[in-house]
Amino acid sequence: MHKVFAIIRREFVERVRQRWFWIMAVLGPVFFGAVFLLPSLLMGKSSLKHIAIVDASAAGLGRSVAVQLDTTKVRAVVVAPGPRVADSLLQAVGAKQLDGFLLVSDLLPDSGEAEYRASNVSSFTTIGELENALQRVASGVRLQREGVDPAAIARARIHVDLKTTKISGGKTTGESAAQSFSLAYFMGIILYMAILLYGINVMSSVLEEKTTRIVEVLVSSVKPFQLMLGKVIGVGAVSLFQFLIWGLAGRWVFHYRHALGADAPGADAGLFTMPRVTADTAAVFLAYFVGGFMLYSAMFAAVGAMSSNEQEARQAQQPVSMLLVLSFISMFAMLNDPGSTFAVTLSLIPFTAPIAMPVRWAAGNLPVSQVVLSLVILAASIVAVTWVAARIYRVGILMTGKRPNPKELLRWIRTA
Amino acid sequence: MASPAVSLDHVTKRFAGHLAVDGLSLEVPSGTIFGLLGPNGAGKSTSIRMLMHIHVPDEGTIRLFGEAGKTGRDQSARIGYLPEERGLYPKMRVIDVLTFLAEMKGVERRRARALALEWLERLGLADWRMRKVNELSKGMQQKVQVISTLLHDPDLLVLDEPFSGLDPVNAQVLKDTVLDLRKRGKTILLSTHIMEQAEQLCDGVCIIARGRKLVDGTLAEVKRTHGGRHVHVTFDGAPGEAERIFADPKLVKKKESTGQYAELELAAGADAQDILKGLVGSGARLAKFELAEPSLNKIFVDLVGPEAATAAARPEVARA
Repeated sequence: MHKVFAIIRREFVERVRQRWFWIMAVLGPVFFGAVFLLPSLLMGKSSLKHIAIVDASAAGLGRSVAVQLDTTKVRAVVVAPGPRVADSLLQAVGAKQLDGFLLVSDLLPDSGEAEYRASNVSSFTTIGELENALQRVASGVRLQREGVDPAAIARARIHVDLKTTKISGGKTTGESAAQSFSLAYFMGIILYMAILLYGINVMSSVLEEKTTRIVEVLVSSVKPFQLMLGKVIGVGAVSLFQFLIWGLAGRWVFHYRHALGADAPGADAGLFTMPRVTADTAAVFLAYFVGGFMLYSAMFAAVGAMSSNEQEARQAQQPVSMLLVLSFISMFAMLNDPGSTFAVTLSLIPFTAPIAMPVRWAAGNLPVSQVVLSLVILAASIVAVTWVAARIYRVGILMTGKRPNPKELLRWIRTA
Repeated sequence: MASPAVSLDHVTKRFAGHLAVDGLSLEVPSGTIFGLLGPNGAGKSTSIRMLMHIHVPDEGTIRLFGEAGKTGRDQSARIGYLPEERGLYPKMRVIDVLTFLAEMKGVERRRARALALEWLERLGLADWRMRKVNELSKGMQQKVQVISTLLHDPDLLVLDEPFSGLDPVNAQVLKDTVLDLRKRGKTILLSTHIMEQAEQLCDGVCIIARGRKLVDGTLAEVKRTHGGRHVHVTFDGAPGEAERIFADPKLVKKKESTGQYAELELAAGADAQDILKGLVGSGARLAKFELAEPSLNKIFVDLVGPEAATAAARPEVARA
């Protein structure tokens, strides 16, 4: 045990002494801050769009649409249709003098048709605003045709602001949907990055001992399994230390957020708002981080042991990283519907659970039994995967020459 | 008599269809320097790795310090091991590497640090203790590695090709250290394919080739059993009639002569004394008649055969 402790200490001390650890400690929060603030800053400051409305209608519908747009971030000028108009507008858009132009005709109130041509038709906010304005004008005209007083129509219009609140355990939480979304998103990113980063750290540590041949001296004094265990725990401790630093930094930033100007108007108006992290959420996060890290670092250790240089290792680790990338990508689908069969399945499969389950936990209310089941499966898989990985590791670390093929790997696992 | 520091009993190790060590038995007496000799690929490193419990023998038993049922790993605190391929953590400080490696041998941390400082002082590396290993010259790194092998004051030193890659200065440091350790009652097992070194250092040797033992015993025994069949003759003047005696196939198997000097290899069953009598009877004037001890190198080449001695290709290390 004394020796395992020495291995843990070496892994921990040597890593914390390295410059990149402290760079990460500082850059991590900056990076995550950017992930949070940038979208809302970008959305909040999106500039005015200038468009032209080509009005081919008899009733001057273009003017009405332009008036509706006045309250939005789209400014419109109305032009009359003509033989040259389309060409000159195209040129204006090409020269970036205009963002686009809208074609309105009498078809708008009749069949709800209009056309928007622009350099960027993927801007959801602009298109949503145009659709809104067109809808109002069209329904206004149709209501007038039915004999409704225009003044009554204006009075009947009201802007609805939908507030969202998450229900957890049969109680409302005061947490908005945007908050749980950003919490889930945030946890997903951290889990993915940390497991990958520190898993690869375990791999390079194994590889270093193998390529410097120091491993031969080590395994003549300690069991290969002890060596692997010490490594995984040591690197894991470094990652937890990193989280601790980030956590404290986060608290500090949150505490002084007024002084730092982070609550400036508009800063939290976007999709991402400062989430509230409760104790049970933190526990779920930590449990799955530790579990995921153990599962993946055992695999990464085996990959390091079966490779004989950096390049080989980088190739051999791809299947392992793919498993992580897969769970990361599916996060977005899960955020959409945390209760779907797809999401439930992923949160039970041990290789995707470390990211899937915390994301679902943060995004929506989960039955505790599912979390327990998933943790039991994860724990059993850690034992099984570590058993296999340790056998590969034991043979691999003393091996030189070419990388083993799957058949040889199986033999290692059987005979080790 | 104390039990041998190392004893191997019919130890066999196979790697995927290739027999690395084949029924090897040997004993290393306590307090001696013992050479495990053989051409490249003979199974020296595999035998040493089995000793250290890095590989487990397929058959046979290994006993260290006479203790049954305890592996090299179990007794690693009493063993210092210098593997053939050396390496240290390149980014660690010298003092930290030494402390860590001693901890792996079960030395308590503070004591390990103190011992490391002492050794660095002794080998003139004290000023480098806070430097990273990769800032040291190759020779200094070799010294650090040697220190790491000795730091925990082991009773048995296992050195795999210890002189390969050492510069002459460090080779001498190591040689002196080894001799000094024997004086203090330690046992040293070293492997080498350089016979001159073995001849200078070793009390006992074991020559293996293709995983099998060819001969073992004390250096004197080996020379006696495999030497003594050589005679060096120097004449005072021309050999004259002596040539007739050299030509007798019942006495001489092989002869190399240059003028007044001749080296003879005796025929099977021949007695050197008969040759001496014959030479005196022939009237040739003798300046010197010597029963020559063959060099270890000569014995080695005779035993191993030229083709095995040059078999440089190393089979891949473990294919378990």
